[in-house]
Amino acid sequence: MLNDLTLEASYPDHQFVDPVARLSAEPGEKAAHLVFENGLTCAFEHEGQHVLIQGAKADDIIGDVVRFEPERHQVSRWIRKRSLHNTLLITEQCDQLCVMCSQPPKKTHVDQFADYAAALRLAPHGSVIGLSGGEPTLHKAKLLSMMESVGEERPDIRFHVLTNAQHFSADDLLRFRHPVYRQTLWGVPLYSATPVVHDRIVKKIGAFEQLRMGLDIMAEGGLHLELRTVLLRDNYSELPNLARLVAKQFDYIDVWAIMQLEKIGFASNRWTELFHDHTQDIDVLEDTVAYAKAFGLDVSLFNFPRCTLPISLRGIAAASISDWKADYAQECDSCDEKPVCGGLFAWHKTLEDYAIRGPL
Amino acid sequence: MKTVAPLKFSRVGENELHFADETGRFFRADNIFLGRLVSGELSSSDHDFLQAEDLLLHPGGTPRISTLSRLSRRLTRPSKPNYLLVVPTLRCDLSCSYCQVSRANLNAKGYDWSDALCEQVCAYIDKVGGEDIQIEFQGGEPTLRPDLLKRVMKFARGRFKSTRFIVCTNLSRLTNEIRALYAMDDVYISTSFDGTWELHKEQRLDTEDQLQSFETNLAEVLRIAPGRVSALPTLNPKNLPNVADLLSSFDALGMRSIFLRPVVFHGFARKAHSSSRNIDETWWKFYRSCIDAMIDRNMDDEHDPFEDYYLTHIIKRMLRPGEDGHFDLRSGSWLGYDHQVIDYDGTVYPSDEARMMARTGQVDLSIGDVVKGVDAVKRSSMQSSALNMFDPWCRQCPYSAACGSDPIDDIARYGRTDVPKPNTAFCQRHMRLFELAGELIYSKDSRVQSSLAKWLDLPSAVNLGARLA
Repeated sequence: MLNDLTLEASYPDHQFVDPVARLSAEPGEKAAHLVFENGLTCAFEHEGQHVLIQGAKADDIIGDVVRFEPERHQVSRWIRKRSLHNTLLITEQCDQLCVMCSQPPKKTHVDQFADYAAALRLAPHGSVIGLSGGEPTLHKAKLLSMMESVGEERPDIRFHVLTNAQHFSADDLLRFRHPVYRQTLWGVPLYSATPVVHDRIVKKIGAFEQLRMGLDIMAEGGLHLELRTVLLRDNYSELPNLARLVAKQFDYIDVWAIMQLEKIGFASNRWTELFHDHTQDIDVLEDTVAYAKAFGLDVSLFNFPRCTLPISLRGIAAASISDWKADYAQECDSCDEKPVCGGLFAWHKTLEDYAIRGPL
Repeated sequence: MKTVAPLKFSRVGENELHFADETGRFFRADNIFLGRLVSGELSSSDHDFLQAEDLLLHPGGTPRISTLSRLSRRLTRPSKPNYLLVVPTLRCDLSCSYCQVSRANLNAKGYDWSDALCEQVCAYIDKVGGEDIQIEFQGGEPTLRPDLLKRVMKFARGRFKSTRFIVCTNLSRLTNEIRALYAMDDVYISTSFDGTWELHKEQRLDTEDQLQSFETNLAEVLRIAPGRVSALPTLNPKNLPNVADLLSSFDALGMRSIFLRPVVFHGFARKAHSSSRNIDETWWKFYRSCIDAMIDRNMDDEHDPFEDYYLTHIIKRMLRPGEDGHFDLRSGSWLGYDHQVIDYDGTVYPSDEARMMARTGQVDLSIGDVVKGVDAVKRSSMQSSALNMFDPWCRQCPYSAACGSDPIDDIARYGRTDVPKPNTAFCQRHMRLFELAGELIYSKDSRVQSSLAKWLDLPSAVNLGARLA
């Protein structure tokens, strides 16, 4: 499938000396070039070694930057040429344990910085690359070095890093003058204006206070900031307070993203406990957005099917669900707004969680 | 306990004060709070409130980065010229008594750009411009010379990444050549419409035929250029229209965002209307009735709201930094930098008012011409009071962060820029507007709140005015 992140592959030579390459039609430096294709099977050659990829037409994957993984009999499509949502997983370690985590953390860290740097150098011109985790700044020194060195060679690449903002200090300020940070957006989760509620959601005591200081440091460093708030039962009714906090005390941010819950990871087992249907009391969301917008914040709604929003909020609903995650319910076929709607998560393809829904 | 940010305040009621810091973050509180603030005996709930409003400093008195960020975003930065007002001809086929722009008779000679000068104007714009440009064609009546408009547009579309042209016209004439210009998506038409047809005729036109052709032409440009036509009323406090008629007339044209201004007495208008140097109470009474009527009409209406364009702008500037789109209300006021005026003879001025003053012989505020370029020394000499932050009066005013400075208006009216601010027309007018904006923001009337939400394009009406209980 076009959007799959990994493809089945066999490696007749059993190994790959240089595992990161760009799939291409013609031979070239750092290129694995096409030597054979037949429907959904194609073979590439890279420095004399071969790989047989299953499940994709050559046309759909040529241009991708991949990692060859003979031991797992697969190819990982790290940077898909046709996608706007390419994300590299920096680490699976995390110092928070958010109740709805979509990517539950692991204890061990696999250091892939060298391969990631190699992949980024091969990325298509003008790519926006997500750097995510876990908590990427647990490996801050290596992370920043990688971003800076890639930034110097490839000033056309922009980064979107997800971080809890709790691992920066005043010592990082000089570093933030590097030009790569002028084109990096840092996404930082903030769930509540009430410290204990935020700490309870991320399961880390003191997180709110550390986050507050971290944000100020990042702002002082001139970093571009995106606050991200996932809707939960625990924080929904108090969202207007969060709007006041963000509008009045964190108004140096570039954008505030309010996100409906994704049913994956921890959230899928705790769905009824965590999910809140915003159509039940939409005025809370309207007031939140109204207050933030009035004071000049750029607010966007993510993961909200358009039919669950009143017209007054559809204008800021982003068609945002990553291409490889998005799908539509059956009733969406008759909806007029399907082309501009972000849709539903493919693994939870239902509108039935929402009392008020389409098609429109 | 942390220190409180320096607060400025102004009385808005017997027991009500409007406070703001240097960044324009505002709230209201009563006399007793003022007492606690002055004596340094703030309660812990005062502190909580001030922290929530981001009005506390770090221990030791350094501001938070959020405060500095707001302060820097409140300052307008200079940029390359991106809004040029050009006068291809000074000739006009009307002679309105309050003409603001000084004009020449229809058949007068020597008041148009020559072919060579048109080339020089384009060469000048090419040299000083950045990536994007807006060019406003003023006059005189610019459509007397569609050939010059066409040449400038052709040049600009080839030179700039994005272009926007505004043709300021009295709509007395509409030829096929002009229709073709108006059909382009980047051409906007700005005309005058004095509120009602009767008043429009009385103030501007001589004959019924002229009114007829204005009506016909206005209807036609609304068809040719949907969404690209605007009309400014010139309102004379001595001859004001009926409020309901004014709103209905604009509504009938599909225009609900109206810029309500009293006639500005510059140019020849100053001579004919010399008794009206200060905007009198008649105007403010009328203005207030208009706003009240607009709020009324906005109640049960899903369409675009009625608004005074400038009041909405004032409200936005109170709430947020960075609303610098209106050239006359900024700090710093970069007239002559991002905004320049090129006259019919190629002289460059920092603003249209400066051009008028030169024309009426008051004072020469030109800063250069299209051949020799701008005299940087002369230009910067007018900038000494372009930032209101350092004005001794503005420093004490809680509205200053949202306000601006207009040194050229001060020169035009008083011949100097150091008149105490409260004595200037600029300050008096804006104080009235800020006080009205504040009154609306703090209004408990749900109809007012509903209009505010519409003016600010908010999904719901929500209480925006912080008040320390």
